[in-house]
Amino acid sequence: MKTTRYRPPVYPFTAIVGHDLLKLGLILNAVNPRLGGILIRGDKGTAKSTAVRALAGLLPDLDVVMGCHYNCDPSDISSLCPECSARFKAGEALPVEKAPIQIVDLPMNTTEDRLVGSIDIEQALCAGVKRFQPGLLAEANRSIIYIDEVNLLEDHLVDILLDTAVTGINIVQRESIKYIHPSRFILIATMNPEEGDIRPQLMDRFGFMVKINGLYEPNDRVEIIRRRECFDDNPNEFLEKWQKKQDALQKSIIKAQRFLGKVSITSEQISEIIQICMIHHVSGHRADIIMEKTARTMAAMDGRLNVNPGDIERAAQLALPHRTNNLKMQGQRQNQINQKPEYEKDRREYLDKGSMNQSLDKQTDVVEKHTQNENQPIDPTRPLVRSSQREISQAEITDEKGRNVSVVASEQVFEIGNIHRIPDPDIRFTRDNLKHRIGKKRTVTTTSNKTGRYVRSTSQRLNNDLAFDATLRAAAPYQRTRSRGDLAVKIMPHDIREKIRQKKIANLLLFVVDASGSMGTKLITETKGTILALLIEAYQKRDKVGMVAFKGQEAEVLLPPTNSVEMAKKLLEELPTGGKTPLGLGLLTSYQLIKNQLRQEPEILPLIVIITDGRANVGIYKEGYYEGTRFGEIYNEIYKVCHLYRNEEKIRTIVIDAEEKRIGSFNRAKKLAEALNAKYYLLADIISFNIIKTVKSEMASYRVQKLHRDH
Amino acid sequence: MKNRHVFPFSAIVGQEKMKMALILNSINPKLGGVLIRGEKGTAKSTAVRSLAALLPEMDIVRDCRFRCDPKIPEKYCIDCQEKINKTGKLEKIKEKMAVVDLPINATEDRVVGTLDIEHTIQKGEKRFEPGILAEANRSILYVDEVNLLDDHIVDVLLDSAAMGINVVEREGISYTHPAEFILVGTMNPEEGELRPQLLDRFGLCVNISGITDPIMRVEIVKNWTSFEEDSQAIYKKWQPKDQELAEKILQAKALLPNVTISDEHLLRIANISIALDVDGHRSDLIMMKASKTMAAFNKRKTVETQDIDESIEVALAHRMRRRPFDDVNADPEAMQELIDKAMATKPNENNKI
Repeated sequence: MKTTRYRPPVYPFTAIVGHDLLKLGLILNAVNPRLGGILIRGDKGTAKSTAVRALAGLLPDLDVVMGCHYNCDPSDISSLCPECSARFKAGEALPVEKAPIQIVDLPMNTTEDRLVGSIDIEQALCAGVKRFQPGLLAEANRSIIYIDEVNLLEDHLVDILLDTAVTGINIVQRESIKYIHPSRFILIATMNPEEGDIRPQLMDRFGFMVKINGLYEPNDRVEIIRRRECFDDNPNEFLEKWQKKQDALQKSIIKAQRFLGKVSITSEQISEIIQICMIHHVSGHRADIIMEKTARTMAAMDGRLNVNPGDIERAAQLALPHRTNNLKMQGQRQNQINQKPEYEKDRREYLDKGSMNQSLDKQTDVVEKHTQNENQPIDPTRPLVRSSQREISQAEITDEKGRNVSVVASEQVFEIGNIHRIPDPDIRFTRDNLKHRIGKKRTVTTTSNKTGRYVRSTSQRLNNDLAFDATLRAAAPYQRTRSRGDLAVKIMPHDIREKIRQKKIANLLLFVVDASGSMGTKLITETKGTILALLIEAYQKRDKVGMVAFKGQEAEVLLPPTNSVEMAKKLLEELPTGGKTPLGLGLLTSYQLIKNQLRQEPEILPLIVIITDGRANVGIYKEGYYEGTRFGEIYNEIYKVCHLYRNEEKIRTIVIDAEEKRIGSFNRAKKLAEALNAKYYLLADIISFNIIKTVKSEMASYRVQKLHRDH
Repeated sequence: MKNRHVFPFSAIVGQEKMKMALILNSINPKLGGVLIRGEKGTAKSTAVRSLAALLPEMDIVRDCRFRCDPKIPEKYCIDCQEKINKTGKLEKIKEKMAVVDLPINATEDRVVGTLDIEHTIQKGEKRFEPGILAEANRSILYVDEVNLLDDHIVDVLLDSAAMGINVVEREGISYTHPAEFILVGTMNPEEGELRPQLLDRFGLCVNISGITDPIMRVEIVKNWTSFEEDSQAIYKKWQPKDQELAEKILQAKALLPNVTISDEHLLRIANISIALDVDGHRSDLIMMKASKTMAAFNKRKTVETQDIDESIEVALAHRMRRRPFDDVNADPEAMQELIDKAMATKPNENNKI
């Protein structure tokens, strides 16, 4: 069933200028499919995708069973697909044919049914036969899966990929179809780290990681322009010109493949590899194994029977960059945790809540990434604390019953799960509550708009967001027995499936800034610095930012929630300060702003950062305002406003106390934080760096709910 | 509807940079589109539509859903491939380049295409129903307010804009078709910036602002009101000028394959990119293509330094590495300064070739 696809001419591999390490990594993978694929990170426009797609022209042919959908290897009886296996058992000879290794694209729009495969609609409708229609995982068996912009791929699809990559088989249990077939593939992916990073678990699956930059030698650049222009103008002519080189490279790949089995590596060299891994604090044995294989493949490519030191060195360059420093980093992190009981306590809280276990995993990842980025430009690695992971995995196995594909892979189970998509952190995760959650959601989101990416379908009727393909698949097997009239398909109400959509949800970061005279100039400067740093973060994450400032007699919405961080920055620079402190009004204005915003965008996740010393001397009511000694009244008002906040489940608040602490300090901000049920931090206590980290981790724990079931 | 004319391109007052960028793209569709940054009501959308109306008709395969070019067999869609294998011949017709709108509320299935419901219900077989990306093949894909586009739509757009193909793996459908379009986006930077990855996909970028010259403003109002009153009359009035421009574009198109660029000039391009610290190599290619197209438009067969210099701003301003808060609207003078400095310090390399 090799579907013919539209394939425009690809740029020849040998014509790519520079990027030797990348090219080496790709070639090695072509020689030895057991190297585990390659992740390519680099700026935009640095020939990442070009290189991967060009690889297609070099790949050697495979021996496959003729007509098999899964490219079964006739010489490997143990991993045949069900059909081939049945034929083999029946004593049939399996005819062999040559088929090229495919580069199977996994585009951003992929839905689950196409990835894992599903019921063959046409067969079911016309012949009434339940038959499995292979998906991309079938097509990719013994071939390559290529994901461009892998960091943008939906988490759910990543889960499936990881699952399959671990076990090498695809287990399908859906739409009354049960099917198991082999799916061993090489994973090749490209990404631009500017757009966010990928999960450590996924990162670790890649055998190699290569970071590439543009070339800075002018003559190289000229060569690139020349070649590309030639190719664009007349692809056929250009391909012809490079055919000789392509053929030569392909020949040497095939030769190396034959040679590979004969290359030997001494035990001294293996211990050298292990030593290198240990020096670089690589945890786990995958790195050792991959380095050993890489070194041997490299020797085979060179036509040598023995591995030499150069091979090992190159192997380290390819296999270690995304794995190094684990232990060291973990040690450092452990220290941080010890120093910050607060952080540990927060974690505990989340753990206790149970429902957030997946999000905890994520949270630690994100925090980790930050710590790493701060300390070292090396890529994020494994999740943080082993023990907490185990708790997570336990919790999730029980929660995972509802999933289509139940998988027995032991080690990786804790990473799989959709639990973090539950937007409500307060609900405990027992069976009863699961139902409760769904029931609750239904009433809340009947008006929910049908936006977001369609990833999967459900048989629950929630909001008439018809998933036609899934409905059809559900109805297909019964068509022979139903009277259909003039139509080809008769659909019954219980066939109907709805779409489950996912959408990334942005944070709304609202700064409520005390700009009154009681805030000293130094404090204001520091506050501005903090906000600015957070703004940069918001920019990179494409969050919305807003700002409310209060001073004198009024609270002003300086910046309505916007994506334009540039504007926020300009306003911040101009922020005038001085005058009295209408704290209550500031809080009320912010509350109204958030409420309005939630009405417009129900999915947005508001986080309010209040920076104040907590001293208020202007009230809200009575002819606009009043002032003077009636502090009691003023604070009563403030607590009333605080109550509004507390009743709002979605709004989360942080109070940053800007009061200079000395004996006799009022500690009003602390009381405010208590009244708001907000997290409380001292500005004077922690340097602005730490505030940033605090807010970031706060946002991170929130962000993990970004994937949201929109029904 | 048919008799209604579009506002004539030549009647648009001012906004020369934007007009030039659009013309260059219509001469050479491989330039990668234009991003137009500017306020509301600055004739962005009008310019795009009127330019498309003025362009000459192109050859397309009759009844092809992807408007394949009969002259380029290696880029035939699957339908056309099958047809030519079966019948050995493809009929061709002439059609104008279309402007396909991508509204910001578009859903993903409409953008990439999906399962044809009607066909499946009636015939019991699966069929691919092409989406906006299919419609936009060999045409202009116009995204108004591109910065407000949903993230997941941007992702699929990036996917196909990069490779010129649309790979669909969804809703039981597996399909691949050509999707080479001129991406024209407009945005108001006050509403938020574009993601860097998408920004880079636009070949050229122009910043425009409302015209402040009172005389020109009067002219704009006059032109527009007379257009609304009698589109026929103003169409007739500007027809010769539009015709002239169309001729010029056609000639430039014919000349473009013969335009050459010397190594010295290519080196200059490379050095400029390095001097301005631009990510990746896309900028080099775009600058080269833009200057070649510029030369062709000026009826020259060789690229001259002025062509390169004129293309610097439109090709590079949006690609310069910057900190999150630096304005995308880079200062041309500052750019020039950087270039001059770099050129001055590298005399050897400039003389070498």
